[in-house]
Amino acid sequence: MSDFALELQQVCAGYGENPVINQLNFKAARGEFIAIIGSNGAGKSTLFRMILGLLPLSAGKIIIQSHQMDSKKDFDFIRTKIGFVPQGVQGGNLPITVLESVMLGNWGASFSYWRRPTAEDKEKAAKWLEYVGLTNLASKDCRRLSGGQRQRMNIARALIREPDILLLDEPITHLDKHSQEILYSLLAACRQQIPHLLILMITHQLEEAAPLTDRIYLMEKGQLIEVGEAP
Amino acid sequence: MTLLDYLQIPLFQRALLACAIAGSCLSLIGIVVIQFQLTVVRFALMHLSLLGGALGILIGTKPMWGAMIAIVIGSLLFGPLSSKINLEPAITGAFLMTGSLAAALMLFHVGGVPAMEVFGLFAGSILTLTALDFWLLGIVSLIIVSLFTLCYREIQLVLHDADQAQWLGVPVSTIRNSLLFLTGIAIGISMKLVGALLIDALLLLPAMAATRIAKTYKQLLVFSVLFGLICAVGGFILSLLLNLPTGATITMFGVLLLGICYLLKRK
Repeated sequence: MSDFALELQQVCAGYGENPVINQLNFKAARGEFIAIIGSNGAGKSTLFRMILGLLPLSAGKIIIQSHQMDSKKDFDFIRTKIGFVPQGVQGGNLPITVLESVMLGNWGASFSYWRRPTAEDKEKAAKWLEYVGLTNLASKDCRRLSGGQRQRMNIARALIREPDILLLDEPITHLDKHSQEILYSLLAACRQQIPHLLILMITHQLEEAAPLTDRIYLMEKGQLIEVGEAP
Repeated sequence: MTLLDYLQIPLFQRALLACAIAGSCLSLIGIVVIQFQLTVVRFALMHLSLLGGALGILIGTKPMWGAMIAIVIGSLLFGPLSSKINLEPAITGAFLMTGSLAAALMLFHVGGVPAMEVFGLFAGSILTLTALDFWLLGIVSLIIVSLFTLCYREIQLVLHDADQAQWLGVPVSTIRNSLLFLTGIAIGISMKLVGALLIDALLLLPAMAATRIAKTYKQLLVFSVLFGLICAVGGFILSLLLNLPTGATITMFGVLLLGICYLLKRK
């Protein structure tokens, strides 16, 4: 069994005729915190879409915890292993409570269609809300949250399945200084308290993120280039 | 005539029942229009119905049939077309709206289609509802309610965070395209019920009012249904009592309700 939580071997992917990821190789171990930087359009979000199975590979292999991702069934399997926080903090205009939003992260695991969420799902959501420090806002309408609160809620939703890999797509962007500090503290706590969790974070704020990370990569021309180990 | 006298007449009984069904069920579609920002789409489908109506007259059928067929085809193609050419539904809507209006105007000129007859499509009335219209309304309403019930959490996820929904394995495209299709059909039916210019009264106003005051998704659905029912049935009864145009009275009810909700919950 491989020691790596995630391995990408010679992967290529893109949109239509345009390759965005080009023969990329990458390995990450359990418990690592890796930052990915790069200019807009360099392929950082595309990389995440590929790992999540939302963008098919044109070549290469993705191996997650010794499982090679070949089919839809494989990606159904990894949904239980990966937590994902998408880019952007602006929410829609749908009235929905914070607790409900976090609970929806468990869709497909214990409830879907005619299987309704159970008391256990709500307890789990409450537990992760407490973890991110939002218990007092559980019954609040999501539309009334600040950007920082919304990102903490999104992280709780990503953690509800207790994943082994957490993908964060620019979680800090557009947040004020205070919210950024709260979020960095939360991620530092995640590292300490969930030691097996591999965290990959796309960011533009390298200076602030660097103390948390083990390695930093630059995404350029469809390749990940290691630009240094964090202090 | 008193209200009871009116309600002895089968025509009015059917109209009242149609108001209750349309008001309570079509307002659910209003939620979709608001959340997906499809306001341009509904204009596009209305203009597409003009083109369909003009074609209908040209080939010798009733303009309403041509309009309904155009709306069904437009709604079916709308979602997949937006995804295929990678455009926002609002942009695709703008293309469809201007394109179909221009084509309809050309047909009026080249084919000698009487424009006023086609524009008559925009003036619907609940009192002219046929048995076929009524059953169509019932079936579409049943489909809408069934979809919102069976896919309660899935629709919630798609409307709340489509990226997350896709990653979790929710069939986002299927749900989105089904909702877009039902939106088109609901617009077609509303045109017949209250006229094209007042369809917002049935589709949008109750959902807008509910979105303003609801704190949870369940409240949003319940308030939308309730407000739609109050507007449609209340407006219809008031129009009978005060001898006012039905579509306009239903709309005024919706506008008042929305105003009250905005006053109750100012940001």
